[in-house]
Amino acid sequence: MKPDVVVVGAGLAGLSAAVRLAEAGASVRVLAKGVGSTHLSAGTVDVLGYDADGKRVDRPLEALDGLPAEHPYGLVGRAGVSAAIDWFKGRIAAGPRAPYAYAGDAEQNILLPTAVGAVAPSAVVPETMASGDLRGGGRICVVGFRALKDFFPALVADNLSRGADGVRARGVELDLRPEGRVDPNALAYARAFDHGGFRAEVVAQLVARLAEDERVAFPAVLGLASPHEVWAELEQRFSRPVFEIPTLPPSVPGIRIYQTLGQLLNRAGGRVVVNNIITGAERSGGRVTALRARVGLREVTFEPEWVVLATGGFSAGGLALDSSWVAREVALDLPVGGAPAPGEERFRSAYFGGQPMDRVGVVTDREQRPVGEDGGRMLENVLVAGATLAGAVPWREKSGDGIALATGFRAAELIAASAAGRVSDVATAGA
Amino acid sequence: MTTISTEVLVIGGGATGAGVAWDAALRGFDVVLVDRADLAEGTSGRFHGLLHSGGRYVVKDPVAADECVAENAILRRVVPDCIEDTGGLFVTTPEDDPAYGDQFLEGCRRAGLPAEEIDVADALRREPRVNPGIKRAFTVPDASIDVWKTVWSLARGAAQHGARVLTYHSVIDLHKDGDAVTGARVRNEISGEELDIEAGFTLNASGAWAAQIVKMAGIEGIGVIPGKGIMIAMNHRLVNTVINRCTIPADGDILVPIRTVSVIGTTDVRETDPDQLPVTQAEVDQMLADGDRLVPGFREARALRVWAGVRPLWQDDRSGEQVADTRDVSRTHAVVDHSARDGTRGLLTMSGGKVTTLRLMAQDLVDAMCKQKGEERPCRTADVRPPGNADGELYSLGERLRRREDRQQQEQLICECELIGRSKLEETMRRRGTQNLDDIRRSLRLGMGPCQGGFCIYRATGILHGLDRLDGEQATASLTSFLEERWKGMWPILYGDQLRQARLDDWIFQGLLGVQHLPGGNGDAPAGERVEAPGEEAVA
Repeated sequence: MKPDVVVVGAGLAGLSAAVRLAEAGASVRVLAKGVGSTHLSAGTVDVLGYDADGKRVDRPLEALDGLPAEHPYGLVGRAGVSAAIDWFKGRIAAGPRAPYAYAGDAEQNILLPTAVGAVAPSAVVPETMASGDLRGGGRICVVGFRALKDFFPALVADNLSRGADGVRARGVELDLRPEGRVDPNALAYARAFDHGGFRAEVVAQLVARLAEDERVAFPAVLGLASPHEVWAELEQRFSRPVFEIPTLPPSVPGIRIYQTLGQLLNRAGGRVVVNNIITGAERSGGRVTALRARVGLREVTFEPEWVVLATGGFSAGGLALDSSWVAREVALDLPVGGAPAPGEERFRSAYFGGQPMDRVGVVTDREQRPVGEDGGRMLENVLVAGATLAGAVPWREKSGDGIALATGFRAAELIAASAAGRVSDVATAGA
Repeated sequence: MTTISTEVLVIGGGATGAGVAWDAALRGFDVVLVDRADLAEGTSGRFHGLLHSGGRYVVKDPVAADECVAENAILRRVVPDCIEDTGGLFVTTPEDDPAYGDQFLEGCRRAGLPAEEIDVADALRREPRVNPGIKRAFTVPDASIDVWKTVWSLARGAAQHGARVLTYHSVIDLHKDGDAVTGARVRNEISGEELDIEAGFTLNASGAWAAQIVKMAGIEGIGVIPGKGIMIAMNHRLVNTVINRCTIPADGDILVPIRTVSVIGTTDVRETDPDQLPVTQAEVDQMLADGDRLVPGFREARALRVWAGVRPLWQDDRSGEQVADTRDVSRTHAVVDHSARDGTRGLLTMSGGKVTTLRLMAQDLVDAMCKQKGEERPCRTADVRPPGNADGELYSLGERLRRREDRQQQEQLICECELIGRSKLEETMRRRGTQNLDDIRRSLRLGMGPCQGGFCIYRATGILHGLDRLDGEQATASLTSFLEERWKGMWPILYGDQLRQARLDDWIFQGLLGVQHLPGGNGDAPAGERVEAPGEEAVA
C-alpha cells in the first residue's frame, strides 16, 4: 500500500497529525497496536501545570519560555502551541458530537478537582468540566455511584474541603446501576447517561437533596455519544452548574476525543487500523522506504512518502528498556537520548521525585526528524511526535496532552508545507 | 499507664513467635504476643516461600536436613491449606559437578529423605522451561508455603485459646526484678500509648532483632548476624515444581513457584543493621543471571518485585564462634538459656531457625520454659490443626479462581489481579480495624499482582475512607505511604513490561490523580533527599 502518510500510533499526537493531513488532502493511514492513550487520560488538554521546580503554573504559555531547551515544547514554541489548540478546538466543535466543545486556552490555567480530590491545573477542557473551576471556591455536591469503583465522592469532597481554598464539598452516593449490572465501569455509566430514562432516575434521586448554592460534580461519565445534550439537560434540570471530574481509566472524555478525531479522519478519507504492529522498516538514502506491519497473522508492507512516529513513551510501549538496561525506540529501533549509561543509576529509591530515566526519548532536530548520536538527521521522511520525544516528564508537568497535540499538529504542518515546498517557512514560524 | 498480666509474653510475631504463641496457648498457658509491626512483616514475610524437603542441607548441614524432613511432613498435616504440594527437583546444571549428585543421594538416604534420580528427559518433560543442558535430576518433596496465611492461622488459633495478640506494639524496655525478667513495657505504635505487661516468663522470638531485645535486660555479647538475602518475584509460574541447583548451596539457586508467581532466591550478605537492607542494582543483575542459568530466558520474563529478607544467624561471643561466611552458620536453631548464660531468669531466646522448622522451634522453646518452671505440659502442635485448615486439603493453584467464579456476577471486583471482591475487602478492613493499606495487602494480597496496586489501591483508599476508618488526611497518608513502599520493591527491577506498568501507574497517580499535590501529600519533597532502605518488601 502506498498512502502519502503512515502515522504510527493512535493517541492524541498521531490522530491530530492524521486528521490535519487528511483534511489537507493527503491519503493517510494510522497504524496502531491498540487504541490510544486517550483512553487513559483525563480528556483535558493540559499544556503545562507545573514548572521544572514543581511549582504550579498559572500562565502556561508564558511559562514555556522557562523550560529547558531540550524540552519538546522548544520544538513548537508558544505560537505553535496556540495554533494547535485553536485547530483542535475548532475540529472538536465541528465534529460528530457538536455542539460538544472545548473551553479555555493556554494563556491561563484553571483549577479542576481530580478523582482523589486534589487540585489540578488545566488549560483546555471539555465544556462539561469547565464549571468545575475551583478558583473562587464555593459549595460543591460531589455525586458518585455505589457501583462505580473508580470514583469515590466522599473522598473527593473531603480532600477538596481540606485543600481547595474556599471550597466546601460533600459527597453523595447513588445506588443506580446500568441495566442492574454488578460491576459497571465508567464506560457503562456513560452509555447509560446517553439514555433519557437513566438521566431521569438520577435527577429524581438527586434534585431534592441539593442545597441552594451548590454546584454538582459527577464522575466523567455524562454520556459518550451525546455529552453536550446530557450535560445541558442536567444543568437545566438542576438549575445550576454541573461538571465532570475525570475518573480512573477507561476515560470517557478521552474516548470522546479518540472517537471524534477518528470520525473526522474517516470523513476526510483516512483510516485508523488497530492491531497493527510494526515489525520492521526498510531504509534507503536516509529515508524509510517501507514499513512492515503485522496484522493478526498477516504481514502487510506500506510504502509511504512520510511517516509520523507517535507511538508514545514507555507506558504506551513506544519506548522499551530491556533487562540489560538498554533503552530503545521500539517501532523503528531509533536510538534514544537522555538515558543513563548501563551501570549508572537508573531509578532512585524515593517514589515522589525525579528518576534518572524520566526524560528518555527520541531526540530530534528542529523539524522533528530523529537525530543520531552525532546530532545529524537520520531519516528525512520520519517525524516524531508526542510522548516518544525526549526531554519531558509529562505526568509530573501535566504537559502530556499539550505536547502530543502541539507536536502532532506541527508534524502535519511540516509535512504539508514540505509537500508544498515551503518547509523552512513553517518551521521558522512554528519555532 | 495500663498494666496487664500474663503467664507468658512472646516477643515477635513472625513465624517463630506465632508458632510459640500457638504452642503455649494449646498447652493451656495464658499468652500475650507483641510485635512492633504487623504479623509476619519482618523476616517471615520476606522469604521465597519454600517449604524445604531438607535436600538443600543433606550434604553440608545434616542436623538441619533431619529437622526439615520431619517438619515438612508434620506441616503438611497440620497446616495443609497453607501449603501447595509442588514437589521439588534438584538439577545438575552444566556448571555443576555431576559427582555432587552422589553425595546428595547419600545424604538423602542418611536423612530418610525420599529422593529419587529420574531421567533428564523426564525432568524436562515435567518442567520444559528448565535448562535443557542439565545433566542429572532428582525429585524431592519440596513444597511452597504461604507464610502469611500460616502465621495468621497460628495467631488466630492462639487467640481462640485465649492468647492476646498485640500488633504494632514495640518493646521499649524489659522489666527486671532482681535477676529475673518480669515482663516488658510496650508502646502502641499507632496511638503512642504505653502499656506494662507483667509476665511470668518472657520468650524472645524476635529473630534478627533478638540482640536488641535482650540488651534491654542488660545482656550483652549476643551476636545475631543479619544475613541479607534478596529475592525477585517473576510474574508467571515459570516452573510448577521447586527447582534447586544440585550443588553446595550458593546464590540464586532456588526457584519457587508460589501462588501466581515464581520467586528466585537468594543471596547471603552479612549486614550490620537488620532494618537497613539495601538492594543494589548489581545484586539484581546477578540474580537475573542466576535465574537464566536455571531457566533460559528467565530475564526476559516480567519481574514484579524485589525484596530483601534478613536471616537471624547466630554468633555468640561467649561460645567463641567466629564465622566469616554467613552461609557457614548452621541453619538449625537453638534455645538460648539466659539463666545459664547470663544468670537472668524468666527469659529464653530462640536463635537461628527457618520457616520450615517453625513448629519444632516453638516446641523446643516452650519445652525449655516448662522445664524451667518445673511443669509437665506436653506439646500438641504436631497433632492439632490451627483454624483455616479444617478440610485438610493441600492448596492447589486455581482454587481462588474457582471459588471466585461462583460469585462472578454477584459482586464488584476491586483487585482484578488478585481477584479480591468488595465484600471480602470490606470484611477484612473491619475485622483488622486497620488504617494501613499495607496491612490489607498482607492479609489479602491486595495490590500484589502485575499492576502493583495501580488500580485497586485508589479503590481501597476510597472504600477505607467510606467505612469511616480514615479521614481525608489519613487517607492521603495511607495512599502515599503505600505508593512509596511499593516503589521500594520495584525500582531496582524496572525493565520491560514492569517499567511500562510503573509508568502507567505514574500517569494515574501523579498525572491523573495528582496524589502528590494533595494537602499532606509528598510531592514537594525534593528529589533524592529521603534515603530509605529499598526492597524490603514481601510478595509471595
